[in-house]
Amino acid sequence: MTAPGCERVALADLTDYAAGELPEAEVAALEEHLFSCADCGARAAEFDTLVRAIRPAVRNAEVGGFVTDAVLNRLAREGVRVRSYALSPGAVVPCAVWEHDELMALRLRGEFGGASEFTLSQRIAGTEVSRATGQVAAGLHGEIIFTLPAAWVRQLPVVEVEVFLTAHEAGEERPIGSYTLVHQGSLHR
Amino acid sequence: MPETQATTGAVSDDALARRIAGGPAGSTDAEEAELYRRFAPRVRLYGRRHLQDDAAADDLAQDVLMLTIERLRAGEVRRPEEIGSFILGTSRMMAHSGRRVARRREALAARFMDTTVAIAPSSIAALDAPRVAACLRALAERDRLVVLLTFYADREAPRIATDLGVSPGAVRVIRHRAIARLRDCVLGEGTASSGSERQGARP
Repeated sequence: MTAPGCERVALADLTDYAAGELPEAEVAALEEHLFSCADCGARAAEFDTLVRAIRPAVRNAEVGGFVTDAVLNRLAREGVRVRSYALSPGAVVPCAVWEHDELMALRLRGEFGGASEFTLSQRIAGTEVSRATGQVAAGLHGEIIFTLPAAWVRQLPVVEVEVFLTAHEAGEERPIGSYTLVHQGSLHR
Repeated sequence: MPETQATTGAVSDDALARRIAGGPAGSTDAEEAELYRRFAPRVRLYGRRHLQDDAAADDLAQDVLMLTIERLRAGEVRRPEEIGSFILGTSRMMAHSGRRVARRREALAARFMDTTVAIAPSSIAALDAPRVAACLRALAERDRLVVLLTFYADREAPRIATDLGVSPGAVRVIRHRAIARLRDCVLGEGTASSGSERQGARP
């Protein structure tokens, strides 16, 4: 059966289905329709293409930002070279990426309380060069993890980068700490 | 576009199946390639859902479509007008008998070696990888993390909810919207960003 312009299976249905979170009672009906409807089948094909492109983009360390240990563990299993720095508030840490590193992970420690929304600001010579706000809870190790593609870090000159982490709680901002990375440039073995 | 491709692209699924079933051996390569192009992504999606492994899903799609074409050629598909149901049934059967699949794949590959079934490339090749990465980067931090945890780290909503400090229902809503934004961005129908959550130079 092919319904012209059929939109019975929406993108949200496909998302839940691929994530394994569509109720079991709906799975069989959705599958029956997908395999008999050309329009919805084409939509499924487009969705499949999109979802499958996510993995290589992440694996190629082209995507940074707030992550959790689940993402870092997956990257490690796939052989991605991650350079990690664990930083406490006030720390001044010499850091660098080596030539084969693909990703830098900042493991930021602090008194997070119950906060689950943070802003990370990077400043060079007092000028903000990037700012990211994300929703993430501190992991088992009491750290907020932020990743940077090594390729981006590698092109930085020898410079001090100040990282400021702020928590958002109940409509108010609370400084968690500042962390200073003294970039040593790209290192070669 | 070659004439055969234009012709096969316009026919319905059941007409395609009937052509393969009724055509002399070696004369339906274009129809077989078209059947593969149409159904392999659906079988891959089915495999991703049930096998939770992209490589296994790729293998399943290849196995199912090769077996389907073999059965059509042999006249063993009783109702070609329901070829979609046949392919779904075969997907279900093969997904639940993985060990038999591996052995059968070798046998089928050997049989098809001299028939050169035109196997369409993986649909992933159709996407511009740097653009997908750029669109992922353009997503709001929270949206991107939900997408990564779901489709890269294979986490389910309740675990993601714990990681983000939100409810599982909120995770699903965030995911729906994030995938829609990502799709629109990749297709050039908009930007992925849902706000000004990230500013400044990369990253």
